[in-house]
Amino acid sequence: MFLASELPAGTGVGFKPEHFRDIVAARQPLVFFEVHAENYMGAGGPPHAQLGKLCEDYALSLHGVGLSIGSMGPLDREHLARLRALCERYRPESFSEHLAWSSHGEVYYNDLLPLPYTEETLARVAGHIDEVQTELGRRMLLENPSTYVRFAESTIPEVEFLREVSGRTGCGLLLDVNNVFVQAKNHGTDALGYLENFPLDRVGEIHLGGHDEQTDDAGAPLLIDAHGTRVADPVWALYQQVIRRTGPVATLIEWDNDVPDWPTLRAEAEAAQAILERASRASAA
Amino acid sequence: MTVRNHITTATIAGSLAAAIAMLSAPAWGAPKPPQPTMDKCYGISLKGQNDCAAGAGTTCAGTSKVDYQGDAWKYVAKGTCDAMRTPKGMGSLMPIKS
Amino acid sequence: MFGPIQNTFALALLDPQRPVPGALVSHTASPPAKRFAVYRNNVVVGLVNALAKRFPAVQRIVGEEFFAAMARVFVIENPPRSPVLMFYGDDFLDFIASFEPAAELPYLADVARLEAARTRAYHAAEAKPLDPAILQSLDKAALGEIRIVPHPSAEIVRSKFPIVTIWAMNAGEIELAPIEDWSGEDALVVRPALEVEVRALPAGGAAFLSALFAGAPLAAAAGTALGESADFDLAANLAGLIGAGAVTKVFLANLQKDEMP
Repeated sequence: MFLASELPAGTGVGFKPEHFRDIVAARQPLVFFEVHAENYMGAGGPPHAQLGKLCEDYALSLHGVGLSIGSMGPLDREHLARLRALCERYRPESFSEHLAWSSHGEVYYNDLLPLPYTEETLARVAGHIDEVQTELGRRMLLENPSTYVRFAESTIPEVEFLREVSGRTGCGLLLDVNNVFVQAKNHGTDALGYLENFPLDRVGEIHLGGHDEQTDDAGAPLLIDAHGTRVADPVWALYQQVIRRTGPVATLIEWDNDVPDWPTLRAEAEAAQAILERASRASAA
Repeated sequence: MTVRNHITTATIAGSLAAAIAMLSAPAWGAPKPPQPTMDKCYGISLKGQNDCAAGAGTTCAGTSKVDYQGDAWKYVAKGTCDAMRTPKGMGSLMPIKS
Repeated sequence: MFGPIQNTFALALLDPQRPVPGALVSHTASPPAKRFAVYRNNVVVGLVNALAKRFPAVQRIVGEEFFAAMARVFVIENPPRSPVLMFYGDDFLDFIASFEPAAELPYLADVARLEAARTRAYHAAEAKPLDPAILQSLDKAALGEIRIVPHPSAEIVRSKFPIVTIWAMNAGEIELAPIEDWSGEDALVVRPALEVEVRALPAGGAAFLSALFAGAPLAAAAGTALGESADFDLAANLAGLIGAGAVTKVFLANLQKDEMP
């Protein structure tokens, strides 16, 4: 019943309009671009002209940041309708959203906010994903978050929560390896253990991005998922381990703040591509 | 609109013909650089940075910039407002008292 | 139950006087004040940046520090109601107009009005501007009754201040200099193709275009414009209107006449 389209197992980058000229000047060594759905919800203009052009040559991943799947209140039906219209207009190979909330009541907070992992929130999130998948007529991917606090009431480990959501709804998962690293550092847990338990067979896309390092109230490291730098070395190491287990998976470089010039961003994507190619040679051997 | 100025059909036809003539003149073909003498004229097309018209993008990233905790009234506008002021004082900005 | 906690969390995001929600923990310190501050910071800085992106000339006029402080007050009082942020701040200009510390810059709200119109034009629906050749074929006897369909991106911004000059100086269009003539300027904002254009309107132009955009026939719109300014030049304004690409169709009564039959 769901559209079975998927991203090709190569690399992509988050599209930034300032790179448009460079991108279309030559065939890029990329297979897809990802855009934030909310930036394409105007009626027309340069955003649609550019996206239409990119879609002629590359696959598209539509990545939502404002649906607020982790809200205890109802989903915004108007926003869901806008997403459906966008999916119909561009027929993206993938639609993904976050395990987070961003709206409450009438207000949109413009951040990915955390939720406790309990039977109550699990039922809520699964219900919302069912609603999204029904409305869009397609399977979606749900992304693991970066968080800075935890909830005393949480009873379910994050990986189990994601596995259960995926099991109940049939949704795929978007594995953000930087978020895994940030999450482990911020909560004193083990990134390798997290990845060992992660249901990698459900992963339809991987995200890689940079983070900033600050400290918390006790002087302990607090990593901010800021997407404003290169991917950190330990994150590359985790990514290599994941790819060794999964084989090639569609991989995105996210760089949203202090956006670099195009060659710098493309070089990051090429570094990921090299890892994917090693993996596919290994699996062919 | 209670003021109703009478405009004859002939006036309109004449104006339209003149407008068509203007539109076919090369001046209308391509945007020209702004000229001070043309300030009040349609002929100037100011574009500005087109990307600046895009408005805010969304992001799934946090920020490491730090919030401004201060109260607004303690700040004084220190941008280009002073450069645009004239001896007559229009557009000037006096320091704001807290 | 997460519902009440989510509510407490949400309210504390925009109100620094509220305590860190008691439901939050961390493996290091309790309460995790600095950690919760990351969320407060993300929300406020992200939305302030959103306004800075949409109102760059306003930001340049007052400077980054003042802008951030002003935008921060607006954000906390008027957080967005939609996840589509490109139009966030449509009411920022009303806020600026009543923002006491900016009272010495009475033109600032109108510059914001112009910038808000530019964003709306940038994202407006596509439409093909009218081909001027179509004007030749109009029935001369009925010209006065002609009405127009404005381009979806077209907006008129009127001001008692020289906002086009001020905007142009702060958008890198013309050099920054003292403005000798502080008379009002009206602007036509339109995006006939992919670039948003701002044009200063001549005498009576704003009244003429506003009337046409509102559906008035040509003769009545010209009459309104003449009523406002004796210097109104119908030919130049028609040429400007069509040349700017601000019209997509002309029609008489119910008979639509566009660029091609």
